[in-house]
Amino acid sequence: MAAPMNSVGKTSADRLQANCTSFQKKTRSKLISIPGTRPSVQNGQLLVSTGVTSLDYLLGGGLAVGTVLLIEEDRFDSYSRMILKYFLAEGVVCQHELFVATAQDNPDEILQELPAPILDDVAVPKPVEQPRPTGEPQDSLDAMTIAWRYQNLPKVQSALASSSRFGHYYDVSKTMEAEIRQAAKCHRFYLPDHITPSSAAHSARVESYSALLKSLQEVIHREGFDLATPMSKSRNILRVGLHSLGSALWGDDLCCHDKPRHSHALTTFLYGLRALLRSSLSVAVVTLPSHLIQDRALMGNITRLCDNAIALESFKGSERETNPLYKDYHGLLFVRQVPHLNCLARQLPDHKDLAFKLKRKQFTIERLHLPPDLSDTASRVSRGEPVGVASACGSGASGTKNLDF
Amino acid sequence: TIFIIHTLVVRHYVEHCRLADEATIQGEAASQLAREQQPSPGVVAPYRPDSCSYSGRDLLKSFITAALNREEVIHVLCFDVSEEELKDGLKPSDTQRLHIHNAYSDPLGWTGHPNFTAQQFSLEDLTNLVKQTSHPKPAVLVIDSLSWILRHKTPPAVCQTLQQLRKGGAVRAVIGLLHTDMHQRGTVGSVCHLATSLISVAPGVKGKEAVARVTKRSKSGKVMQDEEIFCIAEDFTVTILSKASHAEHKTNSTEEEQADPTANLTFNLRLSDSELEAKQKLTLPFVFSKEKKTALLHPGPGSGRILYEPDANDDYDQEDPDDDLDV
Repeated sequence: MAAPMNSVGKTSADRLQANCTSFQKKTRSKLISIPGTRPSVQNGQLLVSTGVTSLDYLLGGGLAVGTVLLIEEDRFDSYSRMILKYFLAEGVVCQHELFVATAQDNPDEILQELPAPILDDVAVPKPVEQPRPTGEPQDSLDAMTIAWRYQNLPKVQSALASSSRFGHYYDVSKTMEAEIRQAAKCHRFYLPDHITPSSAAHSARVESYSALLKSLQEVIHREGFDLATPMSKSRNILRVGLHSLGSALWGDDLCCHDKPRHSHALTTFLYGLRALLRSSLSVAVVTLPSHLIQDRALMGNITRLCDNAIALESFKGSERETNPLYKDYHGLLFVRQVPHLNCLARQLPDHKDLAFKLKRKQFTIERLHLPPDLSDTASRVSRGEPVGVASACGSGASGTKNLDF
Repeated sequence: TIFIIHTLVVRHYVEHCRLADEATIQGEAASQLAREQQPSPGVVAPYRPDSCSYSGRDLLKSFITAALNREEVIHVLCFDVSEEELKDGLKPSDTQRLHIHNAYSDPLGWTGHPNFTAQQFSLEDLTNLVKQTSHPKPAVLVIDSLSWILRHKTPPAVCQTLQQLRKGGAVRAVIGLLHTDMHQRGTVGSVCHLATSLISVAPGVKGKEAVARVTKRSKSGKVMQDEEIFCIAEDFTVTILSKASHAEHKTNSTEEEQADPTANLTFNLRLSDSELEAKQKLTLPFVFSKEKKTALLHPGPGSGRILYEPDANDDYDQEDPDDDLDV
């Protein structure tokens, strides 16, 4: 079991906010509750929010404590970095401790870019329109003249949300205030401080990962996150954010060569990381520039070694940017793996076609559905040109004046 | 800032192979460098197939010329071509701010006293090299070409050195030339991932022109992409000719889709005004009044009643189906 469950009853009511489900799981164990976490309704695991409520929904309610979330970066590392910042910002707001490790930019730069939380009134995403018997029926009836019987049925619910809100919303246009940020304890690991590159270049093994693992283990042990210590004092969760692991700046040639020499360095590290996390009250988010990795089998290994895995593909810079199907969104999101922790079956999301959009107050992940009349060329053949679209219906490309039936 | 110029290796490849993909040049960045003071930290890699008698080196020289015109100190690490060839075409008056480190004659240090070797591509050596010329402003480092260095040092080491150069204050900008053809895709991708600005060069449609695709990443995470056609004059000034013609094709296709479907038919699908009015006045069969609609849509608590008046036919006796027994 990854983490002890919380006691239910009096304390859960404080933790959950309004509009929560009335379902409460009964348990006999009496354990200390940790702020910012809640037990999963499916398998009783302790969950933390990733900071993005749609992502929480996709992962089955949240990120289980003791697991790793792998984010395959998009091409320019803009949205994966954003999700990492949401994750860390959620940790600050829930008063968890943070551990940030980077090789490219200083961890302080990431911490200074954390989005500001919207604390007063949360921007609740538009829920499914419930039928309102005493609402304003007149206006709604005027809207449809022929299909009025369907007036009160909800439109396509493309936004993914669960009924109980868990997690906070952030305003991307503002950065978190320094007082809030400094209230949270943060441990940093900046690779150039630990490894001198000249020594790294000559070593046969990749030293950076072992240094990172040692540093993380030391922090977990010193701050009392591992489960072996007695549970007398109040417990907290450690949120670990590892930025751009596997890139060339970590000294690893995974992204550089088609057949990397140190292909096992990262996989060994992930194995050790997961072992470390399972025996402590921590949760990790790792971003990886998977678009640079040429070896797909290695990518499959890496995915399997992490518990949750999602991949982001942004439309910026690709030809999909101008595709009308994607005009409302910033990119596609793929859920590569969802774990089954202490149970037999996984909770896979229902929808496989997901797209994300970064709005100012929310990072939404929605189901991508085709609008009814997507392309004008599908059913209408342009005159005089040879038929390029295969789905042309009977009326031929000749564009003659007489139509035969 | 690191600029990387991505080019295609000229001399070694036949003209027709490898022309297809990814020619993008950043003419805009070139022009910006040429005209304004543009501190663009990034690796810019112009990518150009030499086979069209258009080499990435010309763009590099245009950068050098522009920087010299801006009174900056430039250090050039010259691996690919000889010093004379690099200086060819540059104005002689500017060359006192231009320091060329000849790594062409002896890059691996086989003679006893090399000028600059590939092994010296590290933070300390480069910082010392740049600091030798005492100038108040930080210098611009031009690397011709990164491909040479990538062949003799591991890509992670090169990436780390570039990153340290960017973080350290000795060098203001790094401009590098990269022949993408010579490396694996992962290597090219990793080096370009570090770049703040990336220029990919490709031959253009007409003779002297070339197409540049520019990708610029800003600190805030915004990415801008542009595609432009440019040409370089004799004195290495870059002129942007036009944006690439892809945009024009797209507007044509959207205009075509607006065609009227009711045109060019043998029967009439259009409605005249009076017909339109009559259509709107028509009452549809299942259009109910508002009260009935509300009643149907929002059934009240008591509206589910079943009103039943017993009918004579409902009085069915199992033992007397025809109802003719006199019992």
